[in-house]
Amino acid sequence: MAIDPEDLPAWSEAFLAADRLARTAGISRVDREWAWGGATGKGVRVAIVDSGVEGSHPAVRGRLGESVAVRIDKNGDPEVVKDNGQDLYGHATACAGIILGLAPEAEIVSVRVLNEELKGKGAAFARGLEWAIEQGVQVANLSLSSKSDAMYGLFHELADEAYFHNVALISAANNIAEASYPSLFSSVFSVAAHAEPDPWRFYYNPNPPVEFGAWGVDVPMAWKDGSDVVATGNSFAAPHIAGLVALIISKHPGLTPFELKAILAAVADNPRTSVPAAPSAVRTKKGKKKGR
Amino acid sequence: MTDRHLNSAVAAIRAAADRAAIAGRLHPDGEQRLLQSIVDATVRLFDAEASSIALFERDPDRLEFRVAAGPQGAGAVGKSIKTSQGIAGFVFSTGQALALSDVASDPRFNRKAAARTGYIPRSIAAVPLSDEQGTHGVLQVLDKRSEATFSLRDMELLGVFAAQAATAIAVTRAQREVSDLLRAAFKASGDRELTDAEVEALISVAAADLDLDDAAPFWRLADQVAQLRGLGERELNLVTAILGAVGAQAAARRGRRS
Repeated sequence: MAIDPEDLPAWSEAFLAADRLARTAGISRVDREWAWGGATGKGVRVAIVDSGVEGSHPAVRGRLGESVAVRIDKNGDPEVVKDNGQDLYGHATACAGIILGLAPEAEIVSVRVLNEELKGKGAAFARGLEWAIEQGVQVANLSLSSKSDAMYGLFHELADEAYFHNVALISAANNIAEASYPSLFSSVFSVAAHAEPDPWRFYYNPNPPVEFGAWGVDVPMAWKDGSDVVATGNSFAAPHIAGLVALIISKHPGLTPFELKAILAAVADNPRTSVPAAPSAVRTKKGKKKGR
Repeated sequence: MTDRHLNSAVAAIRAAADRAAIAGRLHPDGEQRLLQSIVDATVRLFDAEASSIALFERDPDRLEFRVAAGPQGAGAVGKSIKTSQGIAGFVFSTGQALALSDVASDPRFNRKAAARTGYIPRSIAAVPLSDEQGTHGVLQVLDKRSEATFSLRDMELLGVFAAQAATAIAVTRAQREVSDLLRAAFKASGDRELTDAEVEALISVAAADLDLDDAAPFWRLADQVAQLRGLGERELNLVTAILGAVGAQAAARRGRRS
C-alpha cells in the first residue's frame, strides 16, 4: 500500500525519507527471518506501565503475570502494592492485546500508575517505571508521558537506568510537538502512528526525536470489561514496536537497547534507494530475504 | 528608589490600569469566548455532531464541560465527569490523544459518562489541553459525519486547536494566580514589614507565573492593578517593588536566552 505524503502529519513525513537510509548498507544482512523468525516472545517479560491490565480479557490469553499498582501514601510518597487485575479505562488491556498479538508467549507485567487520585500522578508514574526496571523486565511499554518540567531530571535518570540494565523503554510520542518525558529522551524507543492496517509494518525515522512509526490508526483492540473497540493514537503504535522488540529479545537474549534499535532500523519497511557500494570487502551476499 | 522614580512608577501602573479597565470592558470573559470559538470552528471543520471543551476543576477533582457546539453539543455544558472516567478522563490523566470508533455498537463499553453529557456517540476523538504547567483539560469531537473514523491529520489538527485553547487557559490562570499572590502579599504584610526572604519568595512565584512571552498577560495583570486604587502608600510601594523585581528578572532571562 503506497503512502500519500499529503495524508501524513508533520511528524510522520520522515518515514518516507528513503535517501537517508542508505547508511544502513553495512547491516543489510540482518533480515526479519534472522531477527525474529520462529520467535514467540517466550521468556521475555514486558511491563505495561498504564491503567492496569485486565487479566481475564480473552486478548490477554492468560499471559498476565504480576500485577501491581502505585498509590500515593499519606506522606505523599508513592508505594507499590498488589493490584487486582482490573483496568481503569481499557487502555492497558489494549496495549497488552497488541503486544501479545505479535509475541503471544511473552509474559505481561501490569504496573498501574493511573488512579482516581490525581495528586502525585507524575511521581506514581516514575515510581512504577523504577519498580519495573528493578524487577528486571526486558521491555517496558509506556503509552503515557509527563509534561512536567519538574519530572525531567527523575525521568532522565530512570531512562539511563533502564538503558544500562538492558531494559528497552518503548514510549508513545506526543501528538503535538512539545516537551514530554520520557518519549523525548534519546535512549528510549519513541513511536508515532502510521495508518497502514498491518501490525508487522513499521518504519524507522532517521529524523528523531520520533524514531519509529507503527500501526496506530483504526486499530481493533481489547478494552475494559471484556470489550473490544477500534481506536487511534500513538498510544497504540508503541505496543506494536514493544511486541517486535519482545520477539527479537526472545530469539537473541541479552541484546542492548542500542543493538535492538539498529536491528529494527535494518529490517524496517522504509523505501530504500540503491545502496552505494560499501568500502568494505566483507559484503558477500546480495539481495535479502523478507521474512516475518 | 527615589521619590521621583516611585511617583513615575505609580503613574505608569495607573496608566496601565486605566488601559486595562478599558480593555476589560471591551472584552469581558475573553477565555470563555475564545474557547467557544475553538469548539465552533472544530464542529464546522470536522462537520461533526458535537465538540466540547472540559476543564479541570478542584474540590472535588473533576472535568467540567465549559463550552460546546454542534447539534448534539448543547447538553454537555455545565456537566462534570470524574477524571477517572471515560475517554476524556483518560486523555486528561495521561496527556495522550486518543480516538475511538464504533463505540456505541459495543454494549459493554462504559457509556455512563457519555449518557451524562446527553449524547452517546459512535466515534469520538479527544486531545489534551496541555502546556509546560501540565494538562488543563480536554478538547473532544463526536461523530464526524463524513467518515466513521478520525485520521492522523484530524488528530494533528485537533492538536493545533488544543494548543490555542491551552494558551488561553494558561493566560487566565496566570492572571488569577498573580492576583492571589498580591492579595496574599498584603495579608502577609499586615502590621509588620515583610522580611527580605518573604519578598524574595513572593517575587520568585510571581516571576515563574509571568514567564509568558505574550502581551496578553500584561493587560490582565494591569486589570488586577486597577483594583489596587485607593491603597495606602506603603502597599503601593510593596507592589512597585514586586513588579520592579519581576521586571528585572524577566529582563535577565531574556538576556540569557538571546
